[in-house]
Amino acid sequence: MAASQKLHSVRRDWRERDVRVVLAALMIAVATVATIALFASQLQRTLVSSASTFLAADRQLDVENGRPIPDSWLEEAHSRGLRTGQMVEFSTMVFGGDQFQLVSVKAVSDEYPLRGDLEIQTREAGPRETVRSGPPPGEVWINPRLLRLLGLTPGDTLEVGNEKLTVSALLVREPDGGFSMSALAPRVMMHKDDVAATGVIQTGSRVEYVYLFAGDTDALESFGAWLKPRLEPSHEWRSVRDGETLSRSLQRAERFLLLGGSLAVLLAAVAVAVASRQYAMSQRDTVALLKTLGLSGPGIARLYLRRLAIWGIVGIIGGLAIALPLFWVLAGMLGNLLDRPVELYFDPNAVFPALATAVVSLFAFAYPPIRRLRDVPAMRVLRSQPTGERRELWRDGLIAVAAIFGLVWLYARELDLVVALLGGLVLLLLALGLVGGALIAGLRRIRGGGNAWRLALVGLYRHRGASLSQMAVFGMTIMLATTLLLVRTSLLDDWQAQLPEKAPNHFLINIAPDAKNDVADFWRERGHPLENLYPMVRGRLTELNGVPVKEAVGSDRNIGALNRELNLTWMATLPDDNKIVKGQWFAPDTVSGVSVEARLADRLGLKLGDRLTFTVGSETVTEPVTSFRTVQWDSMKPNFYMAFPPGGGLEGLPATWITSFYLPPDQKTELNTFTRQFPTISVLEIDHIIARIQDIIRQVTLAIETILGMILAAALVVMAAVVSATLRDRQREGALLRTLGGRQSLLVRSTMLEFGVLGGFAGIVGVLAAEAAVYALQYRMFEGSFSWHWSVIVPVPLASALLVSLFGRWQLGPVLSVSPMLLLRRLE
Amino acid sequence: MNQMTNPNADHCTPMLRVAGLSHRVPLETDTLTILQGVNLEINRGESVAIVGRSGSGKTTLLGLLAGLDTPSEGTVELDGAMISQLSEDKRAELRASRVGFVFQSFQLLPALSALENVMLPLELAGMDNPDKRARELLERVGLGERLNHTPRQLSGGEQQRVAIARAFACEPAVLFADEPTGNLDNRTGQAVSDLLMALNREQGTTLVMVTHDEHLAARCARQLHIEAGQLSEPTAEESVS
Repeated sequence: MAASQKLHSVRRDWRERDVRVVLAALMIAVATVATIALFASQLQRTLVSSASTFLAADRQLDVENGRPIPDSWLEEAHSRGLRTGQMVEFSTMVFGGDQFQLVSVKAVSDEYPLRGDLEIQTREAGPRETVRSGPPPGEVWINPRLLRLLGLTPGDTLEVGNEKLTVSALLVREPDGGFSMSALAPRVMMHKDDVAATGVIQTGSRVEYVYLFAGDTDALESFGAWLKPRLEPSHEWRSVRDGETLSRSLQRAERFLLLGGSLAVLLAAVAVAVASRQYAMSQRDTVALLKTLGLSGPGIARLYLRRLAIWGIVGIIGGLAIALPLFWVLAGMLGNLLDRPVELYFDPNAVFPALATAVVSLFAFAYPPIRRLRDVPAMRVLRSQPTGERRELWRDGLIAVAAIFGLVWLYARELDLVVALLGGLVLLLLALGLVGGALIAGLRRIRGGGNAWRLALVGLYRHRGASLSQMAVFGMTIMLATTLLLVRTSLLDDWQAQLPEKAPNHFLINIAPDAKNDVADFWRERGHPLENLYPMVRGRLTELNGVPVKEAVGSDRNIGALNRELNLTWMATLPDDNKIVKGQWFAPDTVSGVSVEARLADRLGLKLGDRLTFTVGSETVTEPVTSFRTVQWDSMKPNFYMAFPPGGGLEGLPATWITSFYLPPDQKTELNTFTRQFPTISVLEIDHIIARIQDIIRQVTLAIETILGMILAAALVVMAAVVSATLRDRQREGALLRTLGGRQSLLVRSTMLEFGVLGGFAGIVGVLAAEAAVYALQYRMFEGSFSWHWSVIVPVPLASALLVSLFGRWQLGPVLSVSPMLLLRRLE
Repeated sequence: MNQMTNPNADHCTPMLRVAGLSHRVPLETDTLTILQGVNLEINRGESVAIVGRSGSGKTTLLGLLAGLDTPSEGTVELDGAMISQLSEDKRAELRASRVGFVFQSFQLLPALSALENVMLPLELAGMDNPDKRARELLERVGLGERLNHTPRQLSGGEQQRVAIARAFACEPAVLFADEPTGNLDNRTGQAVSDLLMALNREQGTTLVMVTHDEHLAARCARQLHIEAGQLSEPTAEESVS
């Protein structure tokens, strides 16, 4: 190989420590960003598929206008490789065992459910069976309560309209049952092909068609895009993300992943910048010599640009070579956690941010110091001369800030995130510049202490330029890692609080007023006292300020709550998990007014004082809106859109009561006793839903922990890179000190103290900057509340002091093990 | 190969012509004058030693003569090219084709082997078979067995021999040497200077050497003294005494 080619051969480069650090920083950057992006994409897919069972499909198209969609739409879906299924939902009276009962019918096609499964019993209190499809034509599966209400046994006949169907099983659980309590009428599930023969659906009947779709995410996305322009206001294209329950958790998890990815990008950029600056410094003599031998400025630029390009390629390949197996291991862990194999999903798009990070890091952070090599005077071979690089530092700084903005923006697309992170960083650098500078200047005046202390403080002062820049990088690194740690802790705590271990997992619905006390006694005797029993009145919102509500809101807006009966309640005190966002909760003795759920209020465009009219049976109730409140729909407790004061508008209307409570799995048989004793009360079992949500939270937690781990590892590498930047000088000094008679222990103590002070100070400033960033992030992105985190304010600076002093000790290694003379000669 | 051939250059014109050369560097409060009004001519094939104490300005003068730096005032003409008026890149081109260097601290690239260090200027000048020429030169300086050793694996004297081989690789018209034996013991220094002189004679190169070693200086045809930035040339009697 020609010598000049060898000048930029990777193998040769690899022999240089500074190049190794640049390449390692690049590889880690690519590996971290790619792993996070790949894993996030895998997780998203796994989560959505875990959660898809809530829809019994990957996507649903709900049609509320009573007209089926054109067949061509389904053909289009099939042509894109999607599987489809259909459901028809309606309410009707059924007849069985000489009695009538209003039921909620779900008629399903053979394909139902596309995702998830059903649980049935072929006899009452018999074993539960898991099945993957609905009833065949001619049969119905019915809710156990209906069986008791009608006094039927499996095998009996149930009349639905004109059709007689055989009750072949009891329907215990349907995947898409959810825990909406709107369908309070007992469930009947039948085959879709039997619907026509029942004659129940007539023109103008209230009927909902639901189309189910499942398949490849890309196909779903492209079909969704094809569908969107064709949808009517009464059509709703839903993914599991649109569901109340999971979307918030999923969104927060995704944001966390983005935050993690952005931090990885920032850390990588810092590492690359530090390492390349060091590399450029070490190359000045070589450049001067090459110039002396006749290489021109552009020739130098070309040489190093080519080198950067090769590093980029090596960094990308090396980074991906780390990322792919790591991703594979993580996906395997995910599979273990879920106790089922996870289909490995390699998202090629996830690699782009990693590539962009590598390229931008190289050209915005590595290139500027290397570009300046062009200006190294040839005269340097004879005598080292200062170079006028200060002027360009500002420009380079601006380019770096713009590049960081661009990268984080590219990665996260969240302005809030970019502003919070960069704002935190700027604050940190300002604080470090001012306070750190003053501190170091002040150190000079400190007298006393042992030799080691004096040497350490003198060292800090003597290396003040390097000390300040090391402090800045340590501070930044600590800030970024601490930010992630704090956000992660608060997210996990939030989720834990949202779904505590003993979250209610059963609802009791339809409790008659006179049975209320008996029900409470029943469960109290068995060790499960019912905490909150709420009255519930079914009513429809019909008028807004005297105008029919659909007219007042605009007929083009399809608001589900207007198409069905709402659950209305009265309560004296606001539940813990509700928050008033506007107006006032009912004062004691108030009997007028209604409190509306904030998001519905927003969609309806309500203002305080608007008068709402509800129709309950044949009665109407009109009340002014007195407050808006947020509701935690995923709290697993009864939640209501509309709340009235006790003795208010709902007074005297027929009400039933509802409650939720926790029943441990080993006591589920108590439910049989309960349903025998209270046959008219519906039991809604949501333990399997809770288990699935907890499953999802476990996955997200794993992802978060992994990403935190990766970021911390990246942070360590950055810190090591920074410490090693001054390795040579420090070793030379150490060797000199030893030559001059300094004892090893003195050297070790003073170095560790010097780095300890540096690390401790960087830790304090880093933690404070992290608190500032978390403050901004919590408010804007994670909807959490802010408080000081004493759990990090003290330990992190201490840990940082210890860690950095250990880095210092490590740097000193050869000074202690090799003879000073040999070392000095080696360092020449 | 030679892209900087000066049509005016012939054997009658001197290799180096310096007129009114001054060099000053700004300090924080005032200006430091390093060279003051230097005039000098060096003929082709001549060997010249510039002798002076540390800080006398000799290294600065060498840098200006070789076009590594530009003067504050005055002109330097090298092989017919007014290098003090050329851009840095043009000067680099000129160096690649006509100038060789030997430094006190050898200045070998640590990551390249002896052979590769010698090949480097040959490649930069675009010469054919750099490998062959580099081998020949290394054999000539007695390092035929050490071709693939890196500078770290060579002694100081060996490193300087590699540097000498590199300096003569492109058959430069003029060779600048900065204290070439300054980092070597007497005996090794003697051997290195023997080699330098021998190669210089063989190739008919113009040699400009900066040194504070009177013995080494005496081996050159001319000795110039520099003191406080002013150059003087002793008469023949002075230089003999």
